[in-house]
Amino acid sequence: MKRIIISHEARQLFRSGAFRALLLLMAGAVAFAAWSGQRSIDRQAEGANAAAAFEDGRRARMREGTEQYQARVLAEGGEYQFASASHSPGAGPPQGTNPGVVGSTTAKYLTLPPTGLASFSIGQSDIQLSYVPVSMNPAMNITRDNELENPVNLMTGSFDIAFVVIFLLPIFILAISYDLLSSEKERGTLAMILAHPISLRELLASKIVARAGVLLAGILALGLAALLAVGASLDQTDTWVRFGLWMAATLLYALFWFALSVLVNVYGRNSAANGIALAGAWLALVVVAPTLVSLLATTLYPAPSRMELTTAARQAQTEAESAYMERLSEYYYDHLELVPEGDGSAMDFLTVAMANRNAVDKAVRPLHDEFQAQLNRQESLVQRFQFISPAIMMQLALNEISGTSADRYEHFLNQAYDFRAEWSEFFTVRFLQRSPLRPADYDQFPVFEHREEPFGAVMTRLLPSLLGMLALLATAIVVPLLRLRRYQVAAT
Amino acid sequence: MLQAVKLTKRYGGIEALKGLDMTVEGGDIYCLLGANGAGKTTTISLFLNFTEPDAGTASVCGLDVTREPLETKKLLAYIPEQVMLYGNLTALENLRYFAQLGGRDYSREEYRGFLSRVGLQPEAVDRRVKTYSKGMRQKVGVAIALAKQARALLLDEPTAGLDPKASNEFSELLLKLKSDGAAILMATHDLFRARETGTRIGIMREGRLVDELSTGEVTHADVEKIYLQHMHAGGHYAQQGASSA
Ligand SMILES: Nc1ncnc2c1ncn2[C@@H]1O[C@H](COP(=O)(O)OP(=O)(O)O)[C@@H](O)[C@H]1O
Ligand SMILES: [Mg+2]
Repeated sequence: MKRIIISHEARQLFRSGAFRALLLLMAGAVAFAAWSGQRSIDRQAEGANAAAAFEDGRRARMREGTEQYQARVLAEGGEYQFASASHSPGAGPPQGTNPGVVGSTTAKYLTLPPTGLASFSIGQSDIQLSYVPVSMNPAMNITRDNELENPVNLMTGSFDIAFVVIFLLPIFILAISYDLLSSEKERGTLAMILAHPISLRELLASKIVARAGVLLAGILALGLAALLAVGASLDQTDTWVRFGLWMAATLLYALFWFALSVLVNVYGRNSAANGIALAGAWLALVVVAPTLVSLLATTLYPAPSRMELTTAARQAQTEAESAYMERLSEYYYDHLELVPEGDGSAMDFLTVAMANRNAVDKAVRPLHDEFQAQLNRQESLVQRFQFISPAIMMQLALNEISGTSADRYEHFLNQAYDFRAEWSEFFTVRFLQRSPLRPADYDQFPVFEHREEPFGAVMTRLLPSLLGMLALLATAIVVPLLRLRRYQVAAT
Repeated sequence: MLQAVKLTKRYGGIEALKGLDMTVEGGDIYCLLGANGAGKTTTISLFLNFTEPDAGTASVCGLDVTREPLETKKLLAYIPEQVMLYGNLTALENLRYFAQLGGRDYSREEYRGFLSRVGLQPEAVDRRVKTYSKGMRQKVGVAIALAKQARALLLDEPTAGLDPKASNEFSELLLKLKSDGAAILMATHDLFRARETGTRIGIMREGRLVDELSTGEVTHADVEKIYLQHMHAGGHYAQQGASSA
């Protein structure tokens, strides 16, 4: 029985030029979004490679210097020595032998590897760079290149597949279902159908199944095509698990909008009224609610601006420096290159400079921590308020599924902070011991290995969003079911 | 076949039907006459379970329509004032869809057969129905009833606005259905055809059945006279009601 209506409805859909046009439009949007999302990921990868190549190149040249120096020492005899902090190119030991110089003037770039689905939802990776520099410099420099003014802004405007799903898919769904019953009523076919052994509920269900079936087949096909076209690591189960989760979330989200169409239709208004009501719902849920939540987060927990952070760092630096100034002549400070080679004072200066940095780091750390804490508070407010709009839940879910969530990024940053400590320790100890770096030591430099969070952690964060959407969907289904008994079918 | 017992329906404050009792047997064409607003459409809607009665029951072949809505709809066919179809489908496609909704299925030739039995020109069968005249659509409506093999038919002013020839053809179709043993309940304003085609006539006023006639026992002039008498009485009551309010 139902099958007849489903196939009839599907045929009617495909006969409609408007539907075919919408389908094409949707395919075009997904194709463009896939391309644009992939471009964004590629750019980050290029940026990461270029930055890493530059810094690694500098270290490689320093190592070459030490190799030549080592060869010379072997040939000419003498002691493998420690370079002073002199800038003058001379015959003495090269800068590469000085752990303090290597550790503080070159940076190690750490990369957060994108998941196979990263290009589906760029998330905030435009403003939270997936590669960060680590050196002996203060920890706050790690996020130096990030734009942290308003990271909770959900409307990042990047045109990725998540955008198509969250913004455009509902429009598409509403366009094919806003007049689900009202059109039949207005055409007069509703009474004709219901004079047959079909219940209103069955009719509605079949109409939804037809539309949702066609649409979800389309989404699955487009999603798969996008994954095969731009997706990475197709050989990893992780990618496919994420793709499955993506499809599940999209299904929930799509069904919610269908249910909303049904909900509006069972009130028996005409198609125009239904269209206006649903357009209003879209505007409220997809545009207004996320903006308000974002606004609320940044108003309640305003993050200090990056400018403030920088100013505070300068101040701390000045204070730290002034304490040491008394013990170090200005001459040394201003004319470092004139200090005679091997002069202990020059070495002292580097020690002092490193001590300064340490002091700055200590002084700025609370501010930096507070800054991060504010961002976390914003983030958790959004997480608490996500339940007022399926669009927010969906955005959080898709970011989580794509591995572009704020939490995964924080997990990465924490590793970066740990690595910075390890990196600093490595060079500081050698520097303070005045132990020169030999070529072989270059292989001993700390290596960063990104540790992926356990999948359970991802699911724990994902589940509230998915369950929230499920609850919303259930509500949007139950209300029409209760209301349906009162639906008036007019005989002419 | 079709039976209403103390059938009552209120719309808000308006009592559209006040304890209607009526029976339509198989082979009967029962014509419901009455002014606009008398409750004819409401009666038909209640038989179709489009709306629930406030009291009383409507039953089809002994089955209560509110308890067995799907079973009773298998037995019913409904032809409204305007048979509304899917304009972008052909007559045959429309017929097939509705027949399948009724749980039946036939071959293409059989569908053509139904459409030719109701007098639709063969060349029109594969045309989209959005180009159809009202008369043609009403014929498709009858074809749907035929294909459904309905035991009871509910018709709501099916010939309103049809030209005399089309109206006559429609009456011929009803007679065929009647001879097949269907119980037919038809709301109409056409007193002449009601007496010509109908077997019984019921006159409704303000939600009540005020008179019942057998067409064999009255002339056309009688029908008109009796009908007008009841309508005048109604007008009289209405005036009284208005002055006392
Ligand atoms: N859906 C409805 N809502 C409110 N009142 C209605 C509705 N349908 C019919 N009525 C009222 O019920 C009465 C009977 O209407 P109806 O059965 O359509 O009369 P008829 O078909 O004999 O012209 C009228 O007074 C009409 O205004
Ligand atoms: Mg009527």
